[in-house]
Amino acid sequence: MNAILRRRWLLNGIAQIGECGLFFLDILVALPKSLRHFRETCRQVWFVGAMSLVIVMTCGLFVGMVLALQLYYTLSIFGGTAALGTVVALSLFRELGPVVTALLFAGRAGTAVTAEIGLMRATDQIEAMEMMAVDPIAYVVAPRYLAGVIAMPLLMCLFNALGILGGHLVGVTWLGVDNGTFWGNMTSTVDLWKDIIDGVWKSLAFGAVVTLIAVFQGYNAPPTSEGVAYSTTRTVVFSAIVILAVDFVMTAFLT
Amino acid sequence: MTSRPSYAIGTGLFILLGFAALAYLATQTTSVANVHQGHSYLLKARFSNIGQLKERAPVKIAGVRVGSVQSVQLERGKMDALVTLAIDDKYDDIPDDSGAAIFTSGLLGDQYVGLQPGGSPDNLKNGDEIVLTQSAMQLEDLIGKFLVNGGPKGSSSGSSTSPKSASSGG
Amino acid sequence: MPASIQSFEAGPLVQVRDLHTRLGGKMIFDGLSLDVPRGSVTAIMGPSGTGKTTLLRHVTGQLRAESGSVHVNGEDVARLSRNALFALREKIGFLFQNSALLTDFNVFENVAFPLRQHARLPEVLIRNIVLTKLQAVGLRGAATLMPSELSGGMARRVALARAIVFDPMLILYDEPFVGLDPIALNQVLRLISTLNKTLGITSILVAHELAAVRRVADHVYLIANGKLVAQGAPEELARQDSPWTRQFFGGEADGPVPFHYPAPDYASELGFAR
Repeated sequence: MNAILRRRWLLNGIAQIGECGLFFLDILVALPKSLRHFRETCRQVWFVGAMSLVIVMTCGLFVGMVLALQLYYTLSIFGGTAALGTVVALSLFRELGPVVTALLFAGRAGTAVTAEIGLMRATDQIEAMEMMAVDPIAYVVAPRYLAGVIAMPLLMCLFNALGILGGHLVGVTWLGVDNGTFWGNMTSTVDLWKDIIDGVWKSLAFGAVVTLIAVFQGYNAPPTSEGVAYSTTRTVVFSAIVILAVDFVMTAFLT
Repeated sequence: MTSRPSYAIGTGLFILLGFAALAYLATQTTSVANVHQGHSYLLKARFSNIGQLKERAPVKIAGVRVGSVQSVQLERGKMDALVTLAIDDKYDDIPDDSGAAIFTSGLLGDQYVGLQPGGSPDNLKNGDEIVLTQSAMQLEDLIGKFLVNGGPKGSSSGSSTSPKSASSGG
Repeated sequence: MPASIQSFEAGPLVQVRDLHTRLGGKMIFDGLSLDVPRGSVTAIMGPSGTGKTTLLRHVTGQLRAESGSVHVNGEDVARLSRNALFALREKIGFLFQNSALLTDFNVFENVAFPLRQHARLPEVLIRNIVLTKLQAVGLRGAATLMPSELSGGMARRVALARAIVFDPMLILYDEPFVGLDPIALNQVLRLISTLNKTLGITSILVAHELAAVRRVADHVYLIANGKLVAQGAPEELARQDSPWTRQFFGGEADGPVPFHYPAPDYASELGFAR
């Protein structure tokens, strides 16, 4: 009995991944058509981006501050506090910026997208579009997908910028690391392509998978209020798992 | 299409803000401004041991950054480390009898190449080799020597561990 | 108008033949056949769960039948390509049970939505078409309201205005009377018959409300257990003496549609049987 249940669970999981992949292909096919709805894409970038702007910037500032505080104490053990700027910048650009932004994005914008599409499904709006001969993938899903992929790296850059400022605030203003040392060591070590642009690639990949999960869960949400609630939760859970898994794979390949 | 929708302005602002952040990161936190300021010329130097020297490590004269390590290779046959240094074009007056040494910034900091200017009237040119080199100081070797020579305990334990630990780490 | 419509002018607009459908393992249609003549108001009635809405989805090509066929305007819906299907759907209006207005847009934009998606029209023309349709349902004054600000009856009328914005040849009404107060119900009824009589739009109506259906429908099909069990003009059907019509029109609790969901023997389940 247990074995059967387990196998069923496994098969369901594989089937979900398969459906998600096919859905991705549907989106790709619909992308050229969705360019006709450029205004809609524009509007979605605004919604998705503005929605997450405040939380991403606030969290960026605090993450930078915490990072500086923690690393200062660790580095002071070895007498290496001069490297504070470098370590803060590298941890942000290579790892924390893309990952934390993606997690915040999944929690803020991803759930909103899932709930919105799920409710559109539950209130027959998706079906109504099909009936009006409008492809809902091209009109509803693809613009939101595109918006997520565009917004994520931009949000990550803002997160990183605020993180550096937060690190500077704590490290230089509060803990007394020399201003020139802080920036000088950072600029001599951080590389535009290997550190910042690699972070942007990561962020693009996270944007692609998180938004895919969000629109997939929303589009396939059972058309009831529990169904939408359940799908919203799944968006966060799956996004978190996939973000960290993709992060591991990409880190292994990029460095 | 007569009135511009308000979200268009918002979207534009958001995108501009994002790119501004990227530009800020690229210019303020990296050496991209220094690297692309001018062209550089290449010098070679052979070391018997480079320690933890890595690509992109700074090259300094009197503590001032003049370039960076472009590549580190093992030279076939000689079993030497061949380090290629990219020196900024504006520092074109380094004497050709200058020496190169690998230093560590701080006790546990990153390693860099330090150039000690000589007195020759001729200057190093693109592709030239710095003959006078001094390898990286290995902390493990120092500790090993200390244990072998001046340590209060016996002498046999320290020497056997030093070559292994020198290759690991980083 | 394309020539194809002219050439099929004589036949019924919707033709369902020997339809078999299975959804989630459950038999929905078991050999259903019916015709919807042009220019008529045809009502589909039947107990809940008999697949009346499913039938509408066959007409619009959202569902494919296991066997049998659905012809709309002479075209086999199941055999149409996606583009041809979308072209057909532009000529079909669909009124959803819960109106399905797009929550992001106001009333005006909701009605204008199909126009903006399918036709490159100058803004002035779009405005005039939309206001004409809104005037037809009596909601021209509500053009700037958002869907959340509308009552159920108003939302349904807006949805109706949206459904007729392309002057369709066929309108499908899915439970148009559910949850309406008597005034709103009468307004919707009046609209259905006006659209049918003045514009000659063929209508298919899925509903439970006998009194309402009697006032607009020309022809009624009664479906149960996946089959057609009775048909005829409303008055005629009410007089028919089959167990199905008696139960449905008389509103009896038990009959061919059983009161009890299929279950094992009551006594044995309670443990009284030996």
